[in-house]
Amino acid sequence: MEAYLLAVAVIALIYTLLTLGLNLQYGFTGLINFGVVGFFAIGAYTSGLTVLAGWPLPVGLLLAALAAALASWPVGLLSLRLRIEYFAIVMLGYAETIRLVVTSESWLTGGVRGIAGIPSTSAALGLQADPTLVTFAITLAAVVAVILVTRHLIASPFGRVIRAIRDDEDAVRALGKHPGRFKVTVFVLGNAVAGLAGALYAHYITYISPDQFVSLLTFYIWVAMIMGGAGRIGGAVVGTVVLMVFVEGSRFVRDVMPGVAEVEMSSIRLGVIGLALMLLMRFRPQGILGTKGNP
Amino acid sequence: MGSAYLINLAFNGVILGLIVALAALSITLVFGIARFPNAATGDVATVGAFAGLAVTATGGGTAAILGFGVLTAAGLSLLFYLILFRGLADKPPVASLIASIGLAFFVRAVLTFFVGHNQQVYPLPIVRAVPFGPLRVQPTDLQVIAVAVLALAAVFALLHLTAIGRRMRAVADNPDLARASGIAATRVLVVMWLCAGALAGVSGTLLGIKTVVSPEMGWDLLMPAFAATILGTIGNPVGAVLGGLLIGLAQELSTPIVGFTYKIGVGFLVLLLMLLVRPQGLFAGNALVR
Repeated sequence: MEAYLLAVAVIALIYTLLTLGLNLQYGFTGLINFGVVGFFAIGAYTSGLTVLAGWPLPVGLLLAALAAALASWPVGLLSLRLRIEYFAIVMLGYAETIRLVVTSESWLTGGVRGIAGIPSTSAALGLQADPTLVTFAITLAAVVAVILVTRHLIASPFGRVIRAIRDDEDAVRALGKHPGRFKVTVFVLGNAVAGLAGALYAHYITYISPDQFVSLLTFYIWVAMIMGGAGRIGGAVVGTVVLMVFVEGSRFVRDVMPGVAEVEMSSIRLGVIGLALMLLMRFRPQGILGTKGNP
Repeated sequence: MGSAYLINLAFNGVILGLIVALAALSITLVFGIARFPNAATGDVATVGAFAGLAVTATGGGTAAILGFGVLTAAGLSLLFYLILFRGLADKPPVASLIASIGLAFFVRAVLTFFVGHNQQVYPLPIVRAVPFGPLRVQPTDLQVIAVAVLALAAVFALLHLTAIGRRMRAVADNPDLARASGIAATRVLVVMWLCAGALAGVSGTLLGIKTVVSPEMGWDLLMPAFAATILGTIGNPVGAVLGGLLIGLAQELSTPIVGFTYKIGVGFLVLLLMLLVRPQGLFAGNALVR
């Protein structure tokens, strides 16, 4: 049971990283990123391949964040020229395109078969310890670090500008600040966090394939962020916990109702996420914990 | 790779382009009047295609597939407006966009729960292709083209020749002015959502006739349709149709160069390049929304 809880906790922490990255983009800056899973995938494949090639784990993690940042920079520039709704759709297409590339370039990524045998965190570090425990420790450290950096960033003058961009971009421009540089920076930073999360995921699961990187994951993260209240760091953590209770809890539904097949369960999960998005937008866009008037 | 091959690719591109154009026109109508990109468009199309499949079980032919598919999609679209999007109208467009993605997931979940994930085909009689010079034409292809063109023409006739169409364009152009002139927004919205749903239904059933019926077909259609919408300047009906044709042609004609798998990515690439050069779309001059 402890082993199971620890395993769930690792996934929860990885999702928390993704939610924190998205929260920085949407919650604090108002950038709509529907392509989270694309950068998560880039991070997973980059670190998986790097460490498989014999490089140490820290190099893999660093390259994963860098690759995700690099991949988000050119599309980030697009956000300067596009209306916010267009940009959202472009990001959705971008994530699908990344998955397409991963599926097609099988010489590098193994195509639909994916990459198996990625060294776990403890194996990559040459430790004898339980890989789940090691991943848990590293991911927890990453979550704490991202929370601290985000809090620092939000309290800084930079943080004031990005929140102002979210609330009224024209006003920011009128005050002589150029929103573009700030938006691109936030976009790239948030996606670097997603890349790091992807790397940790790859070294935790040790097997990655294109099937694991579908758009549904992006909207898991959106639900987690909105539930917790966009623009609240603590909310990202709480929202992810609620999400994980649902995702993991749905596994036990089959123990209660043995007649439900796994494919039907996946339909139910998809349906509940869809329903959650609709109900949240309709009745509590400020999140379950947020108060009216909060972003 | 002879010219005959290219001509056949181009012909296929036109057909797929028309199917994309129908979905793109649906998206652009919703954007022009309800002011948000509706991500549930594709899944409404899927439901239309499956409704057509249901009617074939009772022995219906092409006309029955189309009729039932379109009616179901139009009804569903209106229902979604009444229970979801109407309540979101006074919130920022982002709320409607996110809710429409939730709706798309929900519709697909209900569909896959009951019909599974298998690809299916309409049990239509298989007809031999007729050669037209280098071009090999399936008689069903001609039907698909005819229906698509008729549906597009019907929507343009509605927009430009009828009183309700004029009101729709007025609301799209300037909602406040339209309201001040005494145009009842609710009626315009009801007609618009019926129209958007019917277009999605035509698109879905035609795609089913041309290819296969699967629960993911609508979500896969969504990306090229969005690309076409943005390409033709979002909110511009003529632009959406031309954008759809352009995307369909680009996808098919690029097959010899980039291979089959990247076909879907081509639409996105075209969109990206265009957004870099001309972010307002190709037809920004006479858009419903400026």
